Amino acid sequence: MDNKEYLTLFIEESQEHLQAVNTHLLELEKNNGSKDIISEIFRSAHTLKGMAATMGFEDLAHLTHHMENVLDQIRNDQLTVTPAVLDVVFESVDDLEYMINDISSGGSGKKDVQGAASKLEALLAGDKAAETASASNVSPEKHSVIPEYDQYEWAVIQESEEQGYHALCLNVTLDEQTMLKAARVFMVFGVVEKAGEVINCQPAMADLEAEAFENEFTVTLITKEEPENLQAQIAGISEVTDVHVHVVKKETVQTKHEEQSITEEKNQELSPPSNKAEMPQRQTEAVKTVRVNTDRLDKLMNLFEELVIDRGRLEQLSAELKHSELTDTVEHMSRISGDLQTIILTMRMMPVENVFNRFPRMVRSLSKELGKKIELDIVGADTELDRTIIDEIGDPLVHLLRNSLDHGIETPEVRKQAGKPETGTVTLRAYHSGNHVMIEMEDDGAGINKEKVIDIALSKGIIAAEDVEKKTDQDIYGLLFASGFSTAAEVTDISGRGVGLDVVRNTFESLGGIVSVDSEPGKGSIFSIQLPLTLSILDVMLVEAGEEKYAVPISSIVETAIITKDNIFHSHGQRVIDFRGRIIPLLSLHQVFAIPGSQEERSQHSIVVINKGGKIAALMVDHLVGKQDIVLKSLGPFLPDIASISGATILGDGNVALIVDVNTLIA
Amino acid sequence: MSSVLVVDDAAFMRMMIKDILVKNQFNVVGEAANGQEAVDMYEELKPDLVTMDITMPEKDGITALKEIKSKHGDANIIMCSAMGQQSMVIDAIQAGAKDFIVKPFQADRVMEAIQKVVGVK
Repeated sequence: MDNKEYLTLFIEESQEHLQAVNTHLLELEKNNGSKDIISEIFRSAHTLKGMAATMGFEDLAHLTHHMENVLDQIRNDQLTVTPAVLDVVFESVDDLEYMINDISSGGSGKKDVQGAASKLEALLAGDKAAETASASNVSPEKHSVIPEYDQYEWAVIQESEEQGYHALCLNVTLDEQTMLKAARVFMVFGVVEKAGEVINCQPAMADLEAEAFENEFTVTLITKEEPENLQAQIAGISEVTDVHVHVVKKETVQTKHEEQSITEEKNQELSPPSNKAEMPQRQTEAVKTVRVNTDRLDKLMNLFEELVIDRGRLEQLSAELKHSELTDTVEHMSRISGDLQTIILTMRMMPVENVFNRFPRMVRSLSKELGKKIELDIVGADTELDRTIIDEIGDPLVHLLRNSLDHGIETPEVRKQAGKPETGTVTLRAYHSGNHVMIEMEDDGAGINKEKVIDIALSKGIIAAEDVEKKTDQDIYGLLFASGFSTAAEVTDISGRGVGLDVVRNTFESLGGIVSVDSEPGKGSIFSIQLPLTLSILDVMLVEAGEEKYAVPISSIVETAIITKDNIFHSHGQRVIDFRGRIIPLLSLHQVFAIPGSQEERSQHSIVVINKGGKIAALMVDHLVGKQDIVLKSLGPFLPDIASISGATILGDGNVALIVDVNTLIA
Repeated sequence: MSSVLVVDDAAFMRMMIKDILVKNQFNVVGEAANGQEAVDMYEELKPDLVTMDITMPEKDGITALKEIKSKHGDANIIMCSAMGQQSMVIDAIQAGAKDFIVKPFQADRVMEAIQKVVGVK
C-alpha cells in the first residue's frame, strides 16, 4: 500500500501526540504519579506506536513500544516515577522527536534506537523481565496430532459415548503472523465451549493463554455436534489457517498410563499488567474540531479581503446615490461582513500555547545543564495570535528564554547569598492589550548590569562616549539588542553564539512587533514584546504625494506635524530638521519613490515622524489623509523585492495605495 | 453494499481503514473519534459493521462496545487493537465483539476479518 498520502496526517498527529507526551511528562514530574496523567501519556505513546507501525517506521514503533512497557509498569505501580526514570523517558522522547522531524523533512525516520530502548528495558522491574525471558525460552515441543489422555479422561470419553455423545479432537493451526494468539485461542474456545465440554487441551490452558506455543494446539471435547459443523465454525475464525477434526475412539489410540495434570480452571494470573488496566476516563474535555488545510484558510482570508474592498466601494456608492433602501441594505451587509471578519480572523488565531508548550522541556533540560534551579511559570497560554505570527515567534522566544536562563538567573549559591530563594523563576506572560498581544518574559535574576552594558557598547563602538549621559536606563538596556553585542563573559553554547539579540529584535520587528527591556539590578529583568493581533489587516495612516496615495503603518509612526520651510537645515549634504530638540534626517516621499511633481516651492510641509527601533526620521508628504484599516496584499511573485514597499492595498474608491516599508527608509 | 462505521481516535487510522474498506466496495457511513461518538453514531446510522479502536479518549472502545451491545445484541463489531492488549481483546470478545484486527493493519487481514463477520451474518 502506498502510504505517502497519509504522511502529512501521520506527521501532524504524531507531533500532537509527542507534544502531549511532553506536557504530561512534565506534569507527572510535578505531581508525582497521578494515574490520569500516566494514562494519558500511555495512550499517546500507544497511538503513536500503532501509527508508526502502520506507516512502516520500525525504529519509531520499536522505541514507542519500549516506552509503552515502562509506562505500563508505572501505571500498574510496578515502577515508581523517579527523576532517573523520567530522564530516560525524556531521552526516548527526544529520539522520537528526532525521528518524526526527520520523517517530516523527507527522511526515512531511521535512527539507531538500541541505546534508548535498552535503557528503557533496564528500567523495567525485574520480575517482568524475567517473565518475558522465561516465556520466550519455553520452546514449545511439537505436539502429536493425537494427544495422550489419562485414565480419567478415557473414562469420561467412554461414558459419554454410551450416552450418545462423541469425543472430538481438534487440531487447530493459526497463521504464523498471528499477533495476539491467546485472543485467537480464546475465540476458538468460545466456539468449542458452546458446542460441548472441553476435557483436554494441549498445550495446557495456561500455556495457551501465555502464548507459550507455536502455531498449533489441540483441543478435545465431548459434544453432540457434527465434526463438519464444528470444523466450519472454527475455520470461520480469522487467522485460523487449518482445522482438523476427528472422532476419538478408544481403539484408535494406544492407551498410555501417564500422569498428566490438566489445569481446567482458568488461570487468573494471566497477563497481569493489562488486566488491571482500567481504560482511562479522560477528565479533560475534548474540543470538537475540524482539520482545515491552512492554504484554504489563507484563501478564505483572501476572498474575504476582496469582499472588504467591494464593501468599501458599495458604501461609497450608496453614500453618493443617497437611495434609502440601498443605504439600508449596504449598512446591513457591512455589519454582517464585520462579523464575518471577526470570525475569519479568529479562525486563523492559535493560542500561544503552541509556542509556549515546548519551553517547559527546554527549561528543564537547560537548568540541569547549567546547574541552576529554575521554574518556568506560564501565564495566559490561551492568548491567541494569528497563525503566521505564531509560526515566526518560536525561535526568537527560544533565544530570549535561553538568554534569561543563562545570563539572568544566578546559580543557587549566588542566589542564596543574595538572600533569594534558591530556585529562580522565569515568568512567561501573554495577554491582550488593545489591538496588540503582549508577551513578557520576566526573571527574578541578577538584572542587567548597566555599567557593563555601557562598557561593552563603548568598546564595540555602538554608542559614542558623549551620548552615554543622555541615555535613559531603558535606552541602555536596549543596547543589548544592538548588533554585535554580547554581555556574556564567555560564549556558552546556550546563548551568545555570536548571533546576538539583534536577530531577535529584527524578527519581531519584521512582524510589526516592538521589543523593549527593563531591569532592576538584583531583582531581575523583564523583556516585553508587543505584537500585532494579525498581519493581514493593518492600521495605517494614508498620505498623499503628488497624485499617489501611500499607506504608512501606524505602528511605526511617532507623530505627524507641519513644519515650515525655515525649519529645514542642511547637515553633511543631507536635509535635517530639529525635532523636539533632536536633529533627525528629513526624507521626501517624492524623492524616495521618484514621484512626479515637486513640493519644494511650498512654504509648509506635512511630515510623518517614523521610528524604527529607536531611530527616528521625518518623512515629508503633500497631505495627510487619515487613519484607516486596510487589507494588506502582497505584490505577488512578479514584483519581488521592491525597495521600501512592503505591499499594497485597494482603497474604497478602487485606487491602489502602496504600503511604505518604514524599516528600509531608516538607515 | 455493507455499511460500516469506523471508530478510532487517530484520524490517520480512520483514513487507513476507510481506504481499505472503500477499495473493497464497502460503504463507510460514518467516522467516530471516541467511544461516546461511536455509541451515538451507531444509534443514528445502524451500520452493518463497526470497526472499534480500544484505546480512545472519553470513552474507550470496550465500554462503547458494551453499550452498543446492550441495546443492539445483533451489532457486528470488530475490535482494532495493538500488540500487548491481549486481555482487553479477550474482554471485548467476551462482551460480544465478533473479531479483532491487530495494528499495524494489513489490508488483507482487515478484509479477512470483515468479510468473515459480514459473511457469517
